Amino acid sequence: MSDSKTTGSQPDGSATGLRCIIVTPESTVLDVRAQFVALPLFDGQRGVGRGHAPFIGRLGSGEVRIIGDQAAAEGTVIRTFVEGGFVEVGHDSVTIITQRAIPSNKIDAEQARLDFEKVHAAVATGDEAIAAKMQAEETARAKLRAAQNAQ
Amino acid sequence: MAKARALDRRRRSVKNIRKITRTMELIATARFKKAMDRSVAARDYTSRLTKILHNIARSGAGIVHPLLDVRPTKRAAVLVLTGNRGLCGGYNSNTIRQSMGVLGQWRSEGVSSHVAVSGKRGISALKFRGINMAEHYTTFDDKPDFEAVQQIGAGYLAAYAAGEIDRLDVVYTQFHSIARQSAETETLLPLKPPEPVGELAQATRASQEYEFFPFAESILEEILPASFLSRLFKCFLDAAVSEQVARMVAMKAATENAGGLIKDLSRRYNRARQSQITGEIMEILGGVEALKS
Repeated sequence: MSDSKTTGSQPDGSATGLRCIIVTPESTVLDVRAQFVALPLFDGQRGVGRGHAPFIGRLGSGEVRIIGDQAAAEGTVIRTFVEGGFVEVGHDSVTIITQRAIPSNKIDAEQARLDFEKVHAAVATGDEAIAAKMQAEETARAKLRAAQNAQ
Repeated sequence: MAKARALDRRRRSVKNIRKITRTMELIATARFKKAMDRSVAARDYTSRLTKILHNIARSGAGIVHPLLDVRPTKRAAVLVLTGNRGLCGGYNSNTIRQSMGVLGQWRSEGVSSHVAVSGKRGISALKFRGINMAEHYTTFDDKPDFEAVQQIGAGYLAAYAAGEIDRLDVVYTQFHSIARQSAETETLLPLKPPEPVGELAQATRASQEYEFFPFAESILEEILPASFLSRLFKCFLDAAVSEQVARMVAMKAATENAGGLIKDLSRRYNRARQSQITGEIMEILGGVEALKS
């Protein structure tokens, strides 16, 4: 994969849509052309289409929805659960850099529910432990939601 | 006959050993290719993180973070990455020698060290040298898992933030190319801001002005630990690739050496057999001559 394609800031008139890439420390999980991408930023969802003003944002835990490019496969939605990380939006590219990315339909919903209940039931004392618990709970909830959406 | 038979037995055992080393060479080659692919796949993450860091630096936000602060070293952590198995040439011994140098240096400076070792070979070698190990891991083989590395890294980050350690050095075998790997000591904490590289540097020049959500400092706070973890992961990946290359080269040399031995033994065996036959013929001729007279 060449970097020049993704980092080129000049919008290419001939191409349509966005190039959406999801990178984890182990590999490049996804590299597709998309029409629209919905991102779970740390404070809520944000949609990005072609020509969006460039930004770098922090991601929370949640589902990335990628609506496929018309030319490639119209209306196909790719749902991927990501756990934190960053997103870099250029004029015609969206790069998601995250430590963990799982396709939503590969999440075991039952396991996600058990994990959520376990985190939810845990008792935390002290500010740091409470903050950690809240974070873990939020992640577990987002994972469970992603699993349910995929069903 | 005794000598020829002994030579033949030896030749057979060398042949068996050659089969084993040849198989090990093939396995190491296959594993090396897989480990190399993983290592290449992981590069993208690091380069993209670096790019974001540069964009933050360009935005005018000062790169200030506790992980970047250099403070006087009172307690140093040393992580040594070796293999679980031997038969890979100087791979393990070079890393162990390098780590002994680092530990010796800290001792001479009066700095206490927190030693963690990955790999059975390293664990037994350091134990033999009387080094107290705080942690040891034997779960990392040719496919290091990011989650496992992340746990170790998170431990170091917490210890660094709490002031329990002032520095982290990783001793591992860096992979330069198939022909060259070297045991290196890399200081991961305090973190060095990454340097721009070739294509990325050009891309940064041409890149657009970014907005930051929520703000540059907050992203920096998240990105530096991620950058540290990816560097630590790279060390594990490099060590895995280097181990396989080292084993591949060592086993190739062993196979070639066995081939040479077999050739030599065959020659000696044939000579011994021939001289034995000559001896027997002489005996028969001697007997015939004796009967004649």
